[in-house]
Amino acid sequence: MSNINGKVYAMNAITPMKPWKTWILRGFFFVLGRVKPLQQDLINLSFIEFARWVVLPRRGFPFLGNGQKREELQYDYLLFFSNFNGTWNQYIDAFSAVLSRGLNLIWRWSEKFPGSVPVTPFKNYIAQVQFDTDYYYTAYPRATANDLKSAHIVQTSLDALSLRAQDYTPAQFAEAYLHFVIQVQAHLGETGDAPVVF
Amino acid sequence: MSKLNATDIQGFVLRGYNLPVGRYLFLHLEDATRARKMIGQLLGQVTTGQRWDGGKPDSTMNIAFTHKGLAALDLPLATLITFPVEFQDGMKERSGILGDTGLNAPERWDDVWRGDRVHMWLGVNAKSPEALEARCAKLLATIQESGGATLLGSQDAAAVVIDGKPTTREHFGYTDGFGNPEYLGVERSSQPGQGKLLADGTWAPLATGELLLGYADEAGELPVAPVPHLLAANGTFMVYRKLHQNLATFRAYLDEQAALYGGGKEKLAAKFIGRWRDGTPLELSPDKPDFPLTQDPKRSTNFTYGADPEGTRCPLGAHVRRVHPRDDFGFHGKLIDRRRITRRGLPYGAFVPEGEPVSDSEDRGVIFMALNASISRQFEFVQQQWIGYGNDAHLGNDKDMLIGNHGGRGRFVVQGDTRPENPPFICSNMPNFVELRGGEYFFLPSITALGMIALSLVDPR
Amino acid sequence: MPNKSGSLYGLTILSPIIDDEKATPSHDLQIRKYLAGLATDDGSPFALAPGTHLARLVVMDDVIYVGMPACEEHLKSKYLVLESNFDGELDDYLGGLADHVPEQLDSIWGHCVAYPGAGNRQAFIDYMKACQIDTTFYFAAINDKSLPETLRALHTRTAVADFIANHQGMEPARLQAEFVQFVAQLRSEPIPGPGTGGIARDIKTGGRNE
Repeated sequence: MSNINGKVYAMNAITPMKPWKTWILRGFFFVLGRVKPLQQDLINLSFIEFARWVVLPRRGFPFLGNGQKREELQYDYLLFFSNFNGTWNQYIDAFSAVLSRGLNLIWRWSEKFPGSVPVTPFKNYIAQVQFDTDYYYTAYPRATANDLKSAHIVQTSLDALSLRAQDYTPAQFAEAYLHFVIQVQAHLGETGDAPVVF
Repeated sequence: MSKLNATDIQGFVLRGYNLPVGRYLFLHLEDATRARKMIGQLLGQVTTGQRWDGGKPDSTMNIAFTHKGLAALDLPLATLITFPVEFQDGMKERSGILGDTGLNAPERWDDVWRGDRVHMWLGVNAKSPEALEARCAKLLATIQESGGATLLGSQDAAAVVIDGKPTTREHFGYTDGFGNPEYLGVERSSQPGQGKLLADGTWAPLATGELLLGYADEAGELPVAPVPHLLAANGTFMVYRKLHQNLATFRAYLDEQAALYGGGKEKLAAKFIGRWRDGTPLELSPDKPDFPLTQDPKRSTNFTYGADPEGTRCPLGAHVRRVHPRDDFGFHGKLIDRRRITRRGLPYGAFVPEGEPVSDSEDRGVIFMALNASISRQFEFVQQQWIGYGNDAHLGNDKDMLIGNHGGRGRFVVQGDTRPENPPFICSNMPNFVELRGGEYFFLPSITALGMIALSLVDPR
Repeated sequence: MPNKSGSLYGLTILSPIIDDEKATPSHDLQIRKYLAGLATDDGSPFALAPGTHLARLVVMDDVIYVGMPACEEHLKSKYLVLESNFDGELDDYLGGLADHVPEQLDSIWGHCVAYPGAGNRQAFIDYMKACQIDTTFYFAAINDKSLPETLRALHTRTAVADFIANHQGMEPARLQAEFVQFVAQLRSEPIPGPGTGGIARDIKTGGRNE
């Protein structure tokens, strides 16, 4: 098993839902997907690279015949996959501290969900429904979501300056260069190894 | 929040004594029965959190134990295993997590910390060296008579004296001691900027459970604590770290970089930490120190970084901004409320004014002692994520300029603007200005819990 | 469509694993064993084929029972879960995997029900799509940059930080000349490939520490 690769953590969670509740959850996600300001908290948390929720209806498991038995389930299932930077505790703490309302709207339809506040029962629930990753790949193990955002800002600024660099007089260049440095100065952190996970 | 029982809480937890000299004794417990008897004898001398209505005492004394110490006192295994993992591990075992590697690695620590021999910390603070000696002599006599413990070593510490007066300066010349948070129920004159930030921009004390076991914390629950509850309640955890300061290296590096920096040496020194050396916050006064501001409790810690997202006033990587990011991570500071620690401690070694010859090899530094309800969630998180790493501050792998374990590498960006007196600037290839010389994790029990330990009255449940 | 966010595609696949009592060890264990030894750095199949930002493979043994009063129930099959975040369109991506890393795909999905093999490109694509589950809500922090753009930007950031640090206080004409040269050099430099620099895991977690 390997939930971690460099600076990212792969979380998988699966929770059972009574099928009639699934439709309420689908409705919520429908709204969330179309009202961008509602997603702002996820963006502001800034340590999630990718995340997804997948509603898996009880009759929706892939069935390929060839001797495979059909599933006979009473519950629909909610799958959650997240790729986040930092520690497991940090991630759940942050979710509980600042996204509790949103999380409750997503998971309250799942059986036995204790609510995302206080944090310890919430952590116990996540730990219970989490299943481990066997293989985890990232194209940029030494970078976080923040590193990526910074890198794109530096690239854009560099491209803009280099486009005209040769046409400037030295004095003009010096001024343009200073502005370039000021544009990128908050984005120059080093990429590197992840801290030891704890 | 009910009123705290100050007679049950060790005074060291509730207040910085603000006494100029201290000595920390490190004891090895020899025999559980005799050691418990010794604790019983010391118990009455422990300084509690009671108010000093009759003026400050000449000296104070407090007690804390390592996990091995608690085991040596024969606490039941069922209790010992309920302590948090990091406390059971001890600081040496956590060196990978803490980034205590290379120059800071345990192999390079002072002898007293290299074995696993320290069981007990006995902290003495005093008004004068004479009072300190007198108190320590008395305590050592008690300890020796009891046969319960041997003294492995001790550490002296004292406020830096300038012009005959004890100050809050540390050896690099910075004024220290602005940062401690306020907690509900802990009596202290209130000061904006020292608790937690609220959505309306005002400040309020942190939940008591961020400091003391047995009370609600900022997550609205009781902190993880050992059982039985009576052993844990009104206690806390303490991190002890001896931080050696390479003063010659620091001064040479500052001079060298200042020669390249357009803002001048004192401004560069201020950019490292986020305060001018007299303590003026850069965020409030970016162009010059303002001493009266540092003396005004309504202003000296009352600021946020929201108007300075690029760090042109206070650099994003400045020490005070890293360890107390205030509103930096959005959500009205809510992501940092469970990462605050309370600092105690004093400098050690001789103070050398600037311009006088100085060497890194001289024994000089600061004894860092941090109190928190959860070492892993509070101290270790701050140390790993905010001092040894920079992602939360959008600084990649950059480390804290002043206390980072750089090993000759790394970068510190001083963000600036187009004014010649505040230019952008990059410091590179930093040496270690500070080196770790040892330390440990301790549990500071309540007076009740000390009594239970002394009388062997700890039942797991 | 919720499977996409900007130019990023979030693919979720659940492939039923063959349940064969005669197989020793069982097929799910064979997958786990293979994955435990599979390179996660620039030798990963996801690095050798184009387009993957992050991907994971998980053997899902069963659903999880959350305790009374919920009902206990179990799956009849174990499933191999692929969660991938990649650039562009699904058919191109799956085709790219089949083109570049067919042996690895066969070693993994060869334990799954009705897997046709990656040698038949279209059959492989059809198979994977038959196992696909639509994502209900997909979040990508950055959804407008391709993988090559991202790797290039990371490389650029390091080079730019070095350049700025090494050219402080330089007089303008020389700075300009060196900058022009720096940009030309940066363009011609090879960029480290995807997956480069993954490190050994050093984990000290677990237990009751919070």
